[in-house]
Amino acid sequence: MPLIPLLDRRLIVVTGKGGTGKTTVAAALALAAATAGRRVLVAEVGLDEHVPALLAPGANPVGYEGRDLRKHLRAMRIDPYEALAEYLGLQIGLRGLARRVLGNRAFRQLMDASPGWRELITLGKIWHLEQMKEADGKPRFDLIVVDAPATGHGLTFLDVPRVVGSAVRAGPLRRHAGWVEEMIRDPQRTVLLPVALAEELPVRETAELVERLRDQVGVAVDRVVVNAVTAAPFPPGLDDLDARLAALPGDLVLPGTPSPATLAACAAHLRARHELNARWMRVLADTTKLGLVALPRIARGVRGPDELALLADALVAPPREPSA
Amino acid sequence: MSAPLDPAALVRDRHIIVCVGTGGVGKTTLAASFALAGARLGRRTAVLTIDPARRLADALGIAELGNQPTDLPRERLTALGVPPEGRLAALMLDMKRTFDELVARFADSEEARQHILGNRIYQHISDALAGSAEYSAMEKVFELSERRDFDLIVVDTPPSQHALDFLEAPRRLVEFLDSRLVQLLLHPALAAGRFGVRLFQRGSERVLHLIERVSGVSFLEDISEFLLAFEGMSEGFRERAREVQARLVGPDAAFVLAASPAKQATRHALEMLARLSAAEVPLAGVVVNRVHTWPGGGPTPDRVPTADREDEARRALAAAFAHTEGSGFPADEAARAALAVADGYAALVRADAESTAELTGRVAKAGGFVRRVPELSGDVHDLEGLARVAEWVFRTGPENGEDA
Ligand SMILES: Nc1ncnc2c1ncn2[C@@H]1O[C@H](COP(=O)(O)OP(=O)(O)OP(=O)(O)O)[C@@H](O)[C@H]1O
Ligand SMILES: Nc1ncnc2c1ncn2[C@@H]1O[C@H](COP(=O)(O)OP(=O)(O)OP(=O)(O)O)[C@@H](O)[C@H]1O
Ligand SMILES: [Mg+2]
Ligand SMILES: [Mg+2]
Repeated sequence: MPLIPLLDRRLIVVTGKGGTGKTTVAAALALAAATAGRRVLVAEVGLDEHVPALLAPGANPVGYEGRDLRKHLRAMRIDPYEALAEYLGLQIGLRGLARRVLGNRAFRQLMDASPGWRELITLGKIWHLEQMKEADGKPRFDLIVVDAPATGHGLTFLDVPRVVGSAVRAGPLRRHAGWVEEMIRDPQRTVLLPVALAEELPVRETAELVERLRDQVGVAVDRVVVNAVTAAPFPPGLDDLDARLAALPGDLVLPGTPSPATLAACAAHLRARHELNARWMRVLADTTKLGLVALPRIARGVRGPDELALLADALVAPPREPSA
Repeated sequence: MSAPLDPAALVRDRHIIVCVGTGGVGKTTLAASFALAGARLGRRTAVLTIDPARRLADALGIAELGNQPTDLPRERLTALGVPPEGRLAALMLDMKRTFDELVARFADSEEARQHILGNRIYQHISDALAGSAEYSAMEKVFELSERRDFDLIVVDTPPSQHALDFLEAPRRLVEFLDSRLVQLLLHPALAAGRFGVRLFQRGSERVLHLIERVSGVSFLEDISEFLLAFEGMSEGFRERAREVQARLVGPDAAFVLAASPAKQATRHALEMLARLSAAEVPLAGVVVNRVHTWPGGGPTPDRVPTADREDEARRALAAAFAHTEGSGFPADEAARAALAVADGYAALVRADAESTAELTGRVAKAGGFVRRVPELSGDVHDLEGLARVAEWVFRTGPENGEDA
């Protein structure tokens, strides 16, 4: 079965271990989509807002209401309590009361202790956004990119509708959970996009994630993003340049340049990091049997749209086939 | 304790060292390095790790979740320069079990214990109520500290944007148990006469019932069952939480912030720093891990080679290659490539210095230490790797990455 191009989905859920680059990838995807003329919404889940600062440095927070950061590109943050207040408001017309009670600290702690509703309500909101239509009947958003919580929670996140569906027998919630589940299990609409680094811990965690996705959750996953990969430092044919540098005479003076030993040390470090990344990418491809999308490590760091654009191009290219 | 703050003084004098930081920056690695340094000073040291990489866990002799510290074999320690009186024991925290053990400790009967452990709310408490990953870690530290067979306990923490989840966990738990809402659910009759309270209670009950109605889940019932079962033990919890908290911010404990030079990551570290200081948590210092450093430690060049000598440098290098490699070797291409690689590397070094300047400046200004650990060429997955990291953390002198 040929891969569906990433941007042709309705919903991309970006997940991965903490610090692997989920937010960066979500922002870059949104940029790629908007550049390609898709109307895209990028939604951060939780209390932090980091996407606006990447896509529009200096922008004010976008909050739950969300805001357009550039043409075709809207960003929002889904705070589950806001979503709950909205849901209760829609269900029974009590948004004001719900807000007040939900604002109470002890009540929040009580809610915090209770399982599942956060994920469900967040996904419910996403479903709602996916269903939104323009006056002409076209979807309000062509694509929704979700910057989901880190892996451990990411799975629970998608699995909740199924659990609710099986635990709750009747009522509106069961119906709503069913709609949400239908959306996330439809491989034409939804794909989970794991982000890993080519290092031991993220690679192992991603392999476990993919396995559990396949066994349990039934959400499509068709590629893995490997972020911040150190590129091969030397041109083909000169792979051991660091060793050759180190073999030069120690007293050689290069005008305006550090010693050959220093050059060799720089080169050796980058080569070692590159080889380490390549090794873990092989492990990742072998264990997941998925194609990998490698994103380069950007030396100056990811500061804003310019760097995101570099990553965006690599992101939407077809993944490298898993090694045979 | 007025010893100057530096990593060596911490592992020599303190009883508890907590490594905090955002995901993937090196908390586990640093915790283990600090512990190794402590053991080398002859202290009986335990390191409590959370989700270590498998190879590191193997190297520490903790291949499985085990809630008790396991000593590294004597001969390994000797090889690492740990004197006979020193000990290094590691454990991998089993959060669920720690919390269960705590319940067992305070439950007044076997029945109460079973009741709690079987309650649905309790089962989910681990995710939410008081950030129980953090709470469990704290509890374990306290338990080890009480046992008095360790001089130094180094604590790794779960990845968190909010370093304080950790410290606040015990307090949050107590606050929750004491909260008016919980009291109301427990003793509705007590509050019946108070108007404001009643209004609030009515509001929240209404919302709870609504949630029940739309969800079809017996939420209220679960919660009150949990609270009733828990009530008998809450005094014990409360007392314990206060003690844990006091010990953590006390003079025998120290917090070390782990950070990485990636731009966003230093921003997160700054946020964390602000939270720590707002909560008056004494921060001993910061270790910026995985920094690109210029080989040999000298100043990082702005350009390699300098622009005015570019051709000259390339020709000299090409000539040297031609000499050592003989004909047939693409000496000019190799010279170009080598200089470009070094130039790119210098850019990495400068970017890291720039992105960490604000963070290290603030910590130094507040009297904390600043250490930089270079990005090593491989993973840190064995004791030798830890020793190499420790070498950087415990070096002194400005030429070794220490800020003045
Ligand atoms: N390709 C890249 N090259 C260089 N730096 C990168 C790259 N991708 C991400 N980074 C940097 O890595 C750090 C972590 O990225 P990001 O915040 O996107 O991760 P995350 O998975 O969302 O983290 P968290 O789990 O904390 O939400 C940031 O400082 C980011 O700028
Ligand atoms: N100085 C270093 N040079 C190279 N690699 C390092 C260095 N320090 C740590 N690492 C590697 O980085 C990875 C992450 O380190 P570590 O597990 O200590 O981070 P952590 O903050 O505990 O992560 P988590 O938040 O996931 O618990 C590990 O694979 C480790 O080997
Ligand atoms: Mg993020
Ligand atoms: Mg760790």
